[in-house]
Amino acid sequence: MFKTQLCLIAAALALTGCAATGPKFAEQQSSTPKLSADKGRVYFYRKDSFVGGGLRPEIRLDGAVVGKSQPGGYFYVDATPGSHEAATSTEVENKLSFVVDKGETKYVRTKVSMGVLVGHVTPELVGSAEAQPELSELHYTGGDAK
Amino acid sequence: MKPYLPRIKCHAISLALAMALGGCAVQYTPVHLDLAPVAAAPARTLAQDTNVVFDTGYARQLKAGSSWKRVGALPQGDVYRPVDDIFMVQGSHNHEAYLIVRDGMLTGFYLPAEGGFSALGKPQALRFTPE
Repeated sequence: MFKTQLCLIAAALALTGCAATGPKFAEQQSSTPKLSADKGRVYFYRKDSFVGGGLRPEIRLDGAVVGKSQPGGYFYVDATPGSHEAATSTEVENKLSFVVDKGETKYVRTKVSMGVLVGHVTPELVGSAEAQPELSELHYTGGDAK
Repeated sequence: MKPYLPRIKCHAISLALAMALGGCAVQYTPVHLDLAPVAAAPARTLAQDTNVVFDTGYARQLKAGSSWKRVGALPQGDVYRPVDDIFMVQGSHNHEAYLIVRDGMLTGFYLPAEGGFSALGKPQALRFTPE
């Protein structure tokens, strides 16, 4: 009985969790530095969702931790032009390979899906037209995510 | 003592787990892209929705009205990059991808991050405007 209750609590925590806090995209934009001409910018974000809220894996860019995938949160990284690989890990590692040009902005959304034992968090490229409205609802996590 | 699960069931579960966790990789071969001169050609617009089906059964839709700009050429065809949008193909991992078109047929994808060519098992007709 006690074990069952523990399992239920653990499952509830894994499924819900808390959404990101921090300034919203529009508030944060005024203090976001302009992209320098010799770099590209990559936004990482995750929509707010009830499912998988407890899953907050680190996001690595070319092997270095740049932040966390948090429901309702976003952050950005200024990267050198060229090829890059973003990755997240839960029970498996999920990767995304892409290129960034000088002055270009790319958007990477992390998405939760079903796994065998634990949910998977997968990075995927999103076009600007789709990403911009989604980002406007999210909170900046760049300061505390690393 | 009798094993909890018969051996065949263990094999089936192992296989299912491996399939669920692994997925299918996008196969590609390294290629050298001959870049087109900057602003050499106007962007072309896809005339109709085109459903691209991979050998694995994975499908992506190329939307009617989407714009594509020729950025170079490979022996397998001309390479088109989406304008103000992205295109991605999915295997065990996700890859940014450009279209490779020869004689009006989509022959495969150029993976810019890997510098690789991924062939489409069955080339599919693509109709651009202007032709």
